[in-house]
Amino acid sequence: MTEQWRLLKTGDHTAAMNMAIDRAILVANSEGEVPPTVRFYGWQPPAISIGYFQSLTEEVDLDHCQKYGVEYVRRITGGGAVFHEKELTYSIVIPESHPQIPKNIMESYGRICGALVKGLSHLEIASTYMPINDIVSGGKKISGNAQTRKAKTVLQHGTIILDVDVDKMFSLLRVPNEKIKDKMIADVKQRVTSLRHLLGSEPPFEKTAQAMKRGFEEEFSIKLVEGSLLQEEISLAKKFEKDCFSAREWNHRR
Amino acid sequence: MQAKSVYKVPNGKLLKISLHYDEIKHVVTDIQITGDFFAYPEEAIELIEDAVRQTTLTKDHLLQTIERVINEHHIEFIGVDAEGLTEGIMRCVT
Repeated sequence: MTEQWRLLKTGDHTAAMNMAIDRAILVANSEGEVPPTVRFYGWQPPAISIGYFQSLTEEVDLDHCQKYGVEYVRRITGGGAVFHEKELTYSIVIPESHPQIPKNIMESYGRICGALVKGLSHLEIASTYMPINDIVSGGKKISGNAQTRKAKTVLQHGTIILDVDVDKMFSLLRVPNEKIKDKMIADVKQRVTSLRHLLGSEPPFEKTAQAMKRGFEEEFSIKLVEGSLLQEEISLAKKFEKDCFSAREWNHRR
Repeated sequence: MQAKSVYKVPNGKLLKISLHYDEIKHVVTDIQITGDFFAYPEEAIELIEDAVRQTTLTKDHLLQTIERVINEHHIEFIGVDAEGLTEGIMRCVT
């Protein structure tokens, strides 16, 4: 019988709540409370997430964030700063010991990104995994991804870019040298694409989620069954939201 | 003395190091390692920062210290390695 994993569509949340939900699922899965889980979600208000090792004030213009109503949060995963506005965000949580997950971290990135590549193919988009943590289409980035492993459990989350406003992004992110800002913006415009650009119009979130669902099912030979968060996951997420991801000590720690 | 470096690790990520050091004794007094790399487990970065504090500011000493912590704690870095971290630190002073 085909193995069944849980599918969550949690809609839009704040930055702190989104990161709290991913972490709560990780804990619940590590304790054997929930099956492997794929989650699709969005961000409201728009937000910047930074990697675990990044310096908040070096990467993010906090005054501009406040001015434009953009939130910010530090992730528990490494990697770079991401402006989350028009995108489909996914997360997958699965035991490290699961036979479908390579022990080797880079190989597991490749495997999970393989699900997204398959998903994109259902939107008629040809793409490939580009190590370390990107997916590219026509040589341009369409997806960024970040993985952590805690309590013998893998959490990988990432984005499928639906549309991108590079000028707005760079008004929120800080660049090391204002003199090269224009060049950096031009570079990023060269290197990053979106589904809107590739398809001619921005596909609906739900259509993109359906394509990604099929991608995960095919890559891992499983069936995704839509479910909901357990009450204890919701409680844990609220605790993480308040104590960790909304806390100044966490977001400003580097 | 305080200094910073920004170093793109070859085939890796962007490493940003903030270093405080004693110019006379040539010893690291404080360090913060930031960037868009990955480390497993993530908390291990603090073990590396702790070990580098009070280390003599030479390439050999730094590399040895960082490699020792990586081996002792089975740390896995992606997008940076012991050589990259050492290079990033040395670029603060050269």
